[in-house]
Amino acid sequence: MAEEVKENDEKQEFWRWTESNWKNPDLKWEDAKIITAGIDVGSVSSQAVICADGEIFAYSNMRTGSDSPESAKNALNYALEGTNMPESRIDYCIGTGYGRVNVPMADRSITEIACHARGANFIYGNEVRTVLDVGGQDCKAIRCDEKGKVINFLMNDKCAAGTGRGMEVFADLLSVPIVDVGERSFKIKEEPTPVSSTCVVYAKTEATGLLRKGWEVNEVLAAYCAAMAERIYSLIERIGIEKEFAITGGMAKNVGVIDRLMKIIKMDPMKTKWDTQIAGAVGAGLFGYTLVQKGKGRK
Amino acid sequence: MIEKFQEWYDNRHEYAKKWKEKTGGKVVGYFCTYAPEEIFYAFDVLPVRILGSHEPQDVTEPHIFGMFCPFCRDVLAQGLKDRYDYLDGIMLAQSCLHLRQAFTSWELHKNPGWSYFLPMPNHVQSKRSVQFLKEEYKLLIEKLEELTGKKITDDDLKRGIEIMNKARRAMKDIYEFRKQDNPPLTGAEAMYMACANFFTDAREFTEVAEEVKKELESRKLDRDPGKRIMLIGSENDDIEYIKMIETLGDRESVGCTVVVEEHCTTTRSFWTEVDTGIEDPLEAIAQRYVDRTPCPSKDWPDRSRLNTILDFAKDYNVDGAIVIQQKFCDPHECDIPFVRKHLEDNGIPTYFLEFDVTVAAGPFAIRTEAFLETLEAEDDLF
Repeated sequence: MAEEVKENDEKQEFWRWTESNWKNPDLKWEDAKIITAGIDVGSVSSQAVICADGEIFAYSNMRTGSDSPESAKNALNYALEGTNMPESRIDYCIGTGYGRVNVPMADRSITEIACHARGANFIYGNEVRTVLDVGGQDCKAIRCDEKGKVINFLMNDKCAAGTGRGMEVFADLLSVPIVDVGERSFKIKEEPTPVSSTCVVYAKTEATGLLRKGWEVNEVLAAYCAAMAERIYSLIERIGIEKEFAITGGMAKNVGVIDRLMKIIKMDPMKTKWDTQIAGAVGAGLFGYTLVQKGKGRK
Repeated sequence: MIEKFQEWYDNRHEYAKKWKEKTGGKVVGYFCTYAPEEIFYAFDVLPVRILGSHEPQDVTEPHIFGMFCPFCRDVLAQGLKDRYDYLDGIMLAQSCLHLRQAFTSWELHKNPGWSYFLPMPNHVQSKRSVQFLKEEYKLLIEKLEELTGKKITDDDLKRGIEIMNKARRAMKDIYEFRKQDNPPLTGAEAMYMACANFFTDAREFTEVAEEVKKELESRKLDRDPGKRIMLIGSENDDIEYIKMIETLGDRESVGCTVVVEEHCTTTRSFWTEVDTGIEDPLEAIAQRYVDRTPCPSKDWPDRSRLNTILDFAKDYNVDGAIVIQQKFCDPHECDIPFVRKHLEDNGIPTYFLEFDVTVAAGPFAIRTEAFLETLEAEDDLF
């Protein structure tokens, strides 16, 4: 019997993921010479990372609001929460993400392309050569060198289908909490044909059509995850994949998409203990650290 | 004085209307830079190039196939919206099918009065193409006689040649200033100039351009030039895009200056002059249009344009090239892998972008900015 899809009766926001912050219990910021911050204001999520002498000291991961400067402030405050570090202690701050020019406390901005490559280099290790970042409305394939410097990159063009926001909409449509989408997409008897379109606008027609045909919710999820994996693959195929391969951004947490993608690529993605969503902000924080060290940033 | 170019760009229609009033002459709109302007000037006709207005529009859908380029749609929209209602005629020198569709649609629906299709040879690399084109010019001249009720002599043609040669030389001289470490004019200003040349009487244009040359001798721009960028590709007069990338540096990120382009709106159309050493002026004009940097629709079997591009890149000491083209421009699309490879084999990094009628500022800004970041040679960030 097909699972019944709730008609949003409880107004539950299935797309909503948990906001978080973290601080490194082993680092004393008071001992650090250089404190830098990276703030990544994305279309869907915002992160702030505080670096103490080039190590991650604290970070936050939040939903982006309607106002970029406000989102940047909130992310920074949340990262600083419980650290006793005053904002004034930050020597240099870099804004990145699509709201990068609207980060009021930033000393300069650097694109999220450069920041994700640098951040992936840190959180995954310097063997990474290809970075895939699937964010809220962008999908970027980045080739980089051993320092995390961008060599070449590609982005999705004109249409944001197959990115994070699309997955949120889909989770909401099927009333499946977004964090469960990946796992549940494998609780199926047989891998279904991918949906024909990852278009967010057509998602509802696509999903309800399949449910009416008698598909299980999990099967529909599987079909959507598979279609996203294929769409993402078409982008990275164009830039060429060189080992090692790392994934950043929110989609890295969705095994439903990532496992299917890696099956197409026939490769194992690198593993990390860090939250993949903070990669851009980490890169920004580390760029700030290098700039200050080289006397190029205010200190 | 340099602001004059933008004034002309912004007020192209007012200019042409006033020109008509003032001179009592005729104005013909042309669709592609293969139109031999020299011959029009010999007849005292003002040739103006029809460019788009970069506004979203909904009038061309019934007339142009969805996968034709945004430029040909934008051009046709200008006609369908009666922006060029003062024209005495239109003409197209054959380059691509997309623009020809815009031309034939305009001809069909707007009754331009006088219209002419010049079969500019596609195989310009053929030894016979100059002779062919010269013969075609004779037919064009007959049509222009009908339009104007005038006959012209070789002296008139020579006068037309001189008018265009002077204007082109002045533009080349101005481009010379862009070779400086901190160019005294921006890429946007240069683009205004190149386009203003399409919209104005070349004699008046040259006068202003000569003044601008003097002005540039002492002009200093209070801006960090940043990376030296070359633009390569199809028709492009998207000055908003150029302005956007040239102001990226204003906000503490890597900036740039467009120092040279290989577009039909700029160097491709004006770089070469008519050789006045050739006795027969009509043959000299034909030779010029056969020899100029070709549109990729004509650049085969050899891709002669590749070396022209590389020479520009070297002469203007560019840090990187943005290969940018109208979406669906097939001739340019075929060239992209070759252009990029040729430049990259010679140490010039490239990035590819695709134009539409309007440009999505956000996605274009981040791509360009990220490309500029990869050009940082002495990297402070690593």
